[in-house]
Parts: sequence; C-alpha cells; structure tokens
Amino acid sequence: LCPQVHSLQELRRSASLATKVFVQRDYSDGTTCQFQTKFPPELESRIERQLFEETVKTLNGFYAEAEKIGGSSYLEGCLACATAYFIFLCMETHYEKVLKKISKYIQDQNEKIYAPRGLLLTDPLERGMRVVSFGQVQIEISIYEDRCSSGSSSSGSSSSSSGGGGGGAGQ
Amino acid sequence: MPAASGKRFKPSKYVPVSAAAIFLVGATTLFFAFTCPGLSLYVSPIIPAYNAVVFLFVLANFSMATFMDPGIFPRAEEDEDKEDDFRAPLYKTVEIKGIQVRMKWCATCRFYRPPRCSHCSVCDNCVEEFDHHCPWVNNCIGRRNYRYFFLFLLSLTTHIMGVFGFGLLYVLYQVEELSGVRMAVTMVVMCVAGLFFIPVAGLTGFHVVLVARGRTTNEQVTGKFRGGVNPFTNGCCKNVSRVLCSSPAPRYLGRPKAEQTVLVRPPFLRPEVSDGQITVKIMDNGIQTELKRTKSKGSLEVTESQSADAEPPPPPKPDLSRYTGLRTHLTLATTEDSGLLGKDSPPTPTMYKYRPGYSSSSSSAALPHSTSAKLSRVNSLKEPNSICDSGHKPSYRSEPSLEPESFRSPTFGKSFHFDPLSSGSRSSSLKSAQGTGFETGHLQSIRSEGTTSTSYKSLVNQTRNGSLSYDSLLTPSDSPDFESVQAGPEPEPPVGYTSPFLSARIAQQRETDLHGRFASAASPKHAVPREPSPVRYDNLSRHIVASIQEREKLLQQTPAPGQEEDAGLADSGIQSTPGSSNAPRTSSSSDDSKRSPLGKNPLTRPALPRFGKPEPPPALRVRSLGSPDQPAAPHLGKSMSYSSQKTETEEVALQPLLAPKDEVQMRTAYSKSNGQPKSLGSAPPGPGPVPLSSPTRGGVKKVSGVGGTTYEISV
Repeated sequence: LCPQVHSLQELRRSASLATKVFVQRDYSDGTTCQFQTKFPPELESRIERQLFEETVKTLNGFYAEAEKIGGSSYLEGCLACATAYFIFLCMETHYEKVLKKISKYIQDQNEKIYAPRGLLLTDPLERGMRVVSFGQVQIEISIYEDRCSSGSSSSGSSSSSSGGGGGGAGQ
Repeated sequence: MPAASGKRFKPSKYVPVSAAAIFLVGATTLFFAFTCPGLSLYVSPIIPAYNAVVFLFVLANFSMATFMDPGIFPRAEEDEDKEDDFRAPLYKTVEIKGIQVRMKWCATCRFYRPPRCSHCSVCDNCVEEFDHHCPWVNNCIGRRNYRYFFLFLLSLTTHIMGVFGFGLLYVLYQVEELSGVRMAVTMVVMCVAGLFFIPVAGLTGFHVVLVARGRTTNEQVTGKFRGGVNPFTNGCCKNVSRVLCSSPAPRYLGRPKAEQTVLVRPPFLRPEVSDGQITVKIMDNGIQTELKRTKSKGSLEVTESQSADAEPPPPPKPDLSRYTGLRTHLTLATTEDSGLLGKDSPPTPTMYKYRPGYSSSSSSAALPHSTSAKLSRVNSLKEPNSICDSGHKPSYRSEPSLEPESFRSPTFGKSFHFDPLSSGSRSSSLKSAQGTGFETGHLQSIRSEGTTSTSYKSLVNQTRNGSLSYDSLLTPSDSPDFESVQAGPEPEPPVGYTSPFLSARIAQQRETDLHGRFASAASPKHAVPREPSPVRYDNLSRHIVASIQEREKLLQQTPAPGQEEDAGLADSGIQSTPGSSNAPRTSSSSDDSKRSPLGKNPLTRPALPRFGKPEPPPALRVRSLGSPDQPAAPHLGKSMSYSSQKTETEEVALQPLLAPKDEVQMRTAYSKSNGQPKSLGSAPPGPGPVPLSSPTRGGVKKVSGVGGTTYEISV
C-alpha cells in the first residue's frame, strides 16, 4: 500500500486526475471483445487521433487473438478434459497469456505515448482505485490536468474540453 | 461457487446441490462396490474402468460448474457510473450485426448490461452471457462455466446410462449367484439411475439444441428470438466449437490489482490544435450535451418504437457542467417524490428486430458530435435540435458558478434570466448538490418538457416546481412501478440513487425539448421582444394553476365558451369533447397567448387539443401521463412558429411526450399574457381576461388537484 500512496502523492504534486474518458465496447460483431475506435472528443486536444486509433486497434487485435478458436485452444480443452481440469492449476490458459500481453502493451503505451500527454490508459480488465473495470467492457482513459504549471491552466475544471483549452493555453 | 455478497447463510439453497451430490456419489459408490466386482470378474474388467473414467469426468465437470465463477461483472465504481446514472435512459441500444439490441441499465451493478448479460437475482450479480441459475450446482451458469455445465450434463447422461445398463446386465444375466444384498443394491441403484435419467436426458437434449442454435437458456425461455433473428449465432458448427473449444475466459472478480507504475508528470505534450478544432470542440460541447440528451430521447424513442438510435452514445462527457445540470434533475426528482415515478415501462417490444436500414446511419460513429450525425440520429427531434444545438445549449443557466458553464455562455448568447433560487429550497442534494442555483435555473428551463411515457420508469415533470406538484397529482398510483421491471430480487436501490437517473432521463429529455424550443425561440421569427422581467417559474406554475381555476370560474359563468374557442381553434384538429370545458379553455388560453405576441397569428396549435382529456378539474386539468395524444406528434413546424414566447418555444418537439408540460406552457403563456396587457384577439369574451388575469396578481389561492391534494398558491 505504501508505494502506492507515494506514487499517488507524487502524482498529486505534479498532476491531478482531471477526468476520465471511457471508450465503450463495440458490439457490432456480437459479444466478441472489441472496443470502439471512435475518437472521443475530450481527447481532441490531448492526443493525436491516429495514435489513439492505433492503440485501440491493437488492443482489439489482441482480444481477437485471445478469443480465437483454433487448434491451440482445442488442444488445450482436450488436455484439460483429460486431466480432469487439474491442468488449470499448473498452466495458464491461452486467454490469460494474451491478457498478459495486453497488459504489457498497455503499460508500454502509457509510458511512451500517453503519460507524456497527461493521459493514462487503463487496462480494461484491471480494477483500480478509481478505475472502473468491469471486465473488458470498456477502456478507461484517465486525463490528468496539469496543475503545477501556470495558474491559468489549473482552473480546476474537470471538463476535459474546457480544460483542454485552458491547459493548452496554460502550457 | 461465488460467495453470495453479504447475504445471510441460507441453508435451503444448498439442499438441491447437496442432494445432487449425495445421489451422484452415493449411487455410483454403491454401483462400484456391489455391482462392479461381479461384473469385472465374470464379464470384463474394462467395465469398472470405463465407469470410473466416466464418473471422474462427471465429477470434474460438476465441480467446475459448481465452483467456477460464471463470469460475474464487478460492480461499476463511482467514477464510471455517475454520468450514466444521472442522465442515462433505462435502455441503451446497440446494433449487433444489423439487429437492434437493447442494453438495460442495471441499477444494482450500475452499468449498462452488455448484450447477453443478465442479473441473477439469486446471486445478485450481473453475469456475462447469463444462461440460468442452476440450483443443482448452486451457481449461475454463464460464459465461463457453461462449457463445464454442458459437459457435466453430457457426461452425467452417459454415466447414468452406463450404470443402468451394466446394472441391468448384472441382474438379467445373473452374473453371479443371486445373493440378496448385491442384487438388491444393484436394483436400487438401477432405480435411482432410471429415475434420474429422464430429467437429465431431457435437460441434456435441451441444451444440445441451445448450443446448436447459439442461444442461452435465458434467451430461449424469455422468447427473445421468437419472432426475430438471433444476432449471436454464427452457425451450428461455429456455435458448438465456440462452446467446447474456445479458450476459457478470464474472471473479472478477484484479480490482483495492478499497481500503477507509470507516473504522469507535466509538462504534457499536446497535439497541434488549430482554431478550427477549437471551435469545433466548443460546438461539440454544446452539441454533445445536446446530443446526449437527444440520445437519451432517441433511446427512448427506440424503446418505444424500436426505431432510431442504434449507435452507442458518445463516451460520457465528464464535465462538471453536465454533471451538475443533471444534479438538478436529480435533486428535484428526489425531493419531489420518488413516488412520482410515473410511467410503467412500456410493454417491452421485441428486443431483437431486424433493422437493416439503421446500420448505415448508426455506424456513422466517426463524428457523433457533428450536426449531421446528430440529425440523422434524432428521429422526432430533428428540427429543433439541429437548430438548437448551435443556438442554444445551456445558456440559460444563470449562474456561472461552474466554469464549464461559463465557458459555454459566451458562445451562446442568452437573454433569458432565471430565478435560480426560487426552487432552491426544493432541491435537496441527492448525491451532492453542486451549484444549486445553477441547477435550479437549469431545472426551470426544462419545465416545459413533457412526459415520457416510455420505458423510463420515472417522473414526468420532476424538474419544475409547479409541474412537479401537479404531476404528482397526475400519477399518484404510478409510484411503485419503479422497481417492478427489474429482476425481482434486485434490491431496491436507495431512492437517491435510482430514481434520480430515471428522472434525470426525463429531465434530460425535457431539456432537449426545451433546447428545441429555445432554439426556435432564438430563431428570429418574431419581432416581439421578450418580457423584460425575469420569469419566476415556480410562481408561474402557480399562476398557471390559479389562472386555470379562474378560467374555470369564467367558463362556468359564460354559457357557451366553446364557440369562441372553436373559432379560435379553427385549425386545431383535436378538440376535446364539448362537455369538457377545460380543453377549449386551455386551448384558447394558449391561443390567446399565442395570438397576442404574434399579432394575430392564426391559431395553429393543434397541439393544444391534446389536452382533450377532460378530467374533473378542481383546478388542474392534467393529462394522464401515460397517454400522449397521437395526433399531437407532427408539430415541429408549428411549434417553431411560437418562438415568440419563451414558454411557447418550450413547446414540444416530442409532442406526445410533453403533453403535460405543454399544458403547463399553455398556462404559463396564458398567465403571462394575462399578466401583460395584450390584445387577445378573438379570445374568450371580454370579461374573460380580466377575471382570469386577476389571479395572477391575487393573494393566496387554494387549489385542489387530482388526488385530493390541496395547495396554496400565493401569487
């Protein structure tokens, strides 16, 4: 808990969580896990459209891979049956493996792309303190408002769009 | 099995699973102990081996079905649900392979249930791809453990057949001498097996069919696809392979929380922002909020007519302004009456309807904020919304206490002044009221929006003081409907939680309508200047009531008011029965108000006669909430023509939904026109206006409404 508190305090010193943007699931293809690639307007001033779309598309690709029904998943099922599912105690399922990849990818994206822009992408699967994650129903992007730079920017407004204007000005 | 969330230990729910376990294990053990030795000796040793393998398989699947998390969704946390909760309609539609699917708001779990998700009343959880709750395993069957349940059924059927068959073999062929004990035991085991075989085999067959069709038990039993097409099927083979061969889905609950290792520090990079982008952004704010409200209404439309909006709404805009605006609805809703929840949810239309035509329009997700997209999405609100999105937005908010508001106000010039504090006393903070002044002002602006009689099981006129009072009169009996449509055991959410969002929906709807009206007000169709004095809407409603009462008296005095009103209402299609003095009165009052500012506009208020339902009026003639008049629908153009009056401009875009509000508006307009000396044209007879206008300046009037409520109006 302590390291978490510290990191939060550091965050507070530098930037505060202004608002959250939720990217919803795209159900157009049934219940397969896909996310909408539509660009949220709140991010208009925060990140390039193309980067965002690329991130979401990659995530969609990962989830499609996880849910893929193919030879490997079939064999995994047979093996599980044969061992009366004890194999699950030892081995990770294919899905879990892909989820780990996703988590790593998200962290990577956060470090490289999103954090420098004051955004934080949350793993849909994850549950965090202010992160709503009910499974993979949505991606949550946390937007951080720059507080410590000029006073005009830190209007305290939580509206990302207005903050975007203010933040842009204040930067 | 997932633990029940904080419920008392109920031993009764463990009875079926215990019985099932006992029978299964007990009978099989007896079989192995008494029948198998003889069989293995005299027939073949493979028999016990085979049976052992099958039994092991049965046990494994039984355990997995029992103990595995079926795919429970964790409760949504505050951050995510607060927008949805306040402003969200009960249903949100989404298009799946061209078919409209409704997602229902789960009040317990606080999110919109994904398709195929359902809330289990026994477990009190939303479960992904909910099949059913199986008492024999004391667990929900959902996405994650359906496979194991299905295999359990298959293997159990096989096992029962095996036990019965080999037992029969043992008995019939008298494999060993008929020693009483073994034979008796074998016979008992056979009986048990035979008894259980019929239901188990039946259930197995049922699930085989379901798997082949790609349906869940829930969907089959509720008849969702009876008349329509199943959007979740991929063909028989793919359905089967999906059930049996897909990789097990991960669980959502109980995952270790990942620590946030990425630090977010300023300075932040920003993409290049052009002026055009900024402009668009601002407009988007206005439009988007507008859009969202429209969206909610669109969703409302959808639930009613399965039309319109299939596109998922844009991501909730987490700005405070909208939030507080919603709070407005919220607070008033809560204050006034959670029992005001008016509407029954309408008869649920078939959830899945094939709507190929909508896929194109709804798939335009690229720019949801664009006006064009908005227009394409809004069915009945097209005109006013398109006008008002650029024009109006929440500029009538008088209190710039919240920055998001203030930044909007310069964009949309606004001359409307509300008295923000007039209804302040009524707004109690629901979640946590912010900017009450703003909220109430905002609230008042919505007053004219009408009722929605659709799936929103919420109040009609919650957001306005006056309307509140007589809407509560309107629907005294509708209050208990709130939770009725939800899954039975869903615990009643705290009043402050559920009713607000429902009422917020209504309020939002009304707000959209209001925007429509205001937009039309903004359009310069009239040369008549607005009233200089600020409108006090709370008093206005009382004025309205008082004026209505006065009108009643007037009508009682005047023998044939109908003629004048009929003349005035020449083109109004629907007339209330002559016996109902209210309708023509109200109509004519609105006619008057309309005529006066517009300089004798011919009366084109077909909307008026919508009030045609005469109710025995003490003073209020209120429409029943549940019955929007059909003919009132196409009044968009006409409502535009009344933009001269604020209240008239609040006249409806969604006419059927706004009937009571329209009435209020009528009366408001009327009282206003009474309050100001205006030529009333071919209005009610000369003495009419005078006594009618007097209440607006009178003292305290006692008005009794429908349902026996009396209240005093101090004018």
